[in-house]
Amino acid sequence: MIYLYAITDRCDLPVPAKPGLEGTSLFSLTYQDIAAVVSPLDTAKTPPTEDNLWRHEAVVEALMADRTVLPVRFGTMLADEAAVQAALAAHYADFVAGLERVRGRVELGLRVLSSPEFLQLPQSSPKFPSISQRNSEELRGTQGGSGRAYLLARLEEERQRQAWRQRAEALADELHVPLARLAVESTRQVLVTPRLLLTAAYLVEQGRVPTFRQEVEALSAAYPELRFLCTGPWPAYNFVTPTMTFDV
Amino acid sequence: MSELVVKEKEVTLLDLLDRILDKGVILFGDVTISVADVDLIYLGLKVLLTSIEKADKMRRAAAAQYSQHST
Repeated sequence: MIYLYAITDRCDLPVPAKPGLEGTSLFSLTYQDIAAVVSPLDTAKTPPTEDNLWRHEAVVEALMADRTVLPVRFGTMLADEAAVQAALAAHYADFVAGLERVRGRVELGLRVLSSPEFLQLPQSSPKFPSISQRNSEELRGTQGGSGRAYLLARLEEERQRQAWRQRAEALADELHVPLARLAVESTRQVLVTPRLLLTAAYLVEQGRVPTFRQEVEALSAAYPELRFLCTGPWPAYNFVTPTMTFDV
Repeated sequence: MSELVVKEKEVTLLDLLDRILDKGVILFGDVTISVADVDLIYLGLKVLLTSIEKADKMRRAAAAQYSQHST
């Protein structure tokens, strides 16, 4: 089996002196002016252990130092060298366009943590317990209550929840928009968990990384109630055309 | 301080997982990572995220206590 790490634009450069998965040696397979950086693997299984994940990442990051890379998702293997070359040929145009998109750019990650109190997360009113509580009580036959009052309370709760969601979206935008302005492209998710206000990725020109970090610092100072966690530079995982279906 | 360092490292791992398992060039070749493995690691990810939130809460509580002591 051949394990894939990345597609690069430089088939003339040697592969980095880094071990691949299972301590194997890296080499590259070329098609026209692009290359896949790979290593041979005996096993058909690559468990996503922390060590394996970092090893894959270390190879991709080492490549980033002197060439443009499209990172390949962890765990991708093809049967043999011919299959890799066939994949390069089949997706040549996509890969060239993808490389163009990320050339000279890196990805920065941002997570902003909040407290539910800060976003004024509505609580279930004790007078009208949540559906799950109520169901269990009704099943035990301990509570009658007015169905209409209950439904009205639930409706009010839902209204509050929507208002809360809107507040969170607006706040997330206050943070995201100035950062997105410094980036070429960006992605944004709001409230992946109740405390994770914003999860975002930014594709940034290499030379703009310090400016971007300064802006994160400035935002962090302006919003002391929030916690900012900025990581990177990463290979542009979030900004490559994700799926290349390749039938052998 | 050490707690903070550990936390940053966990966040970086979380960010790595988010990217390396889910993003990037996806080639459907002969063998790709099994769905069960991915589910397993995402379950771990959720636990990790919870632990980060918890650590953050603890850190804030510790900071509040410290500032009370110093005033």
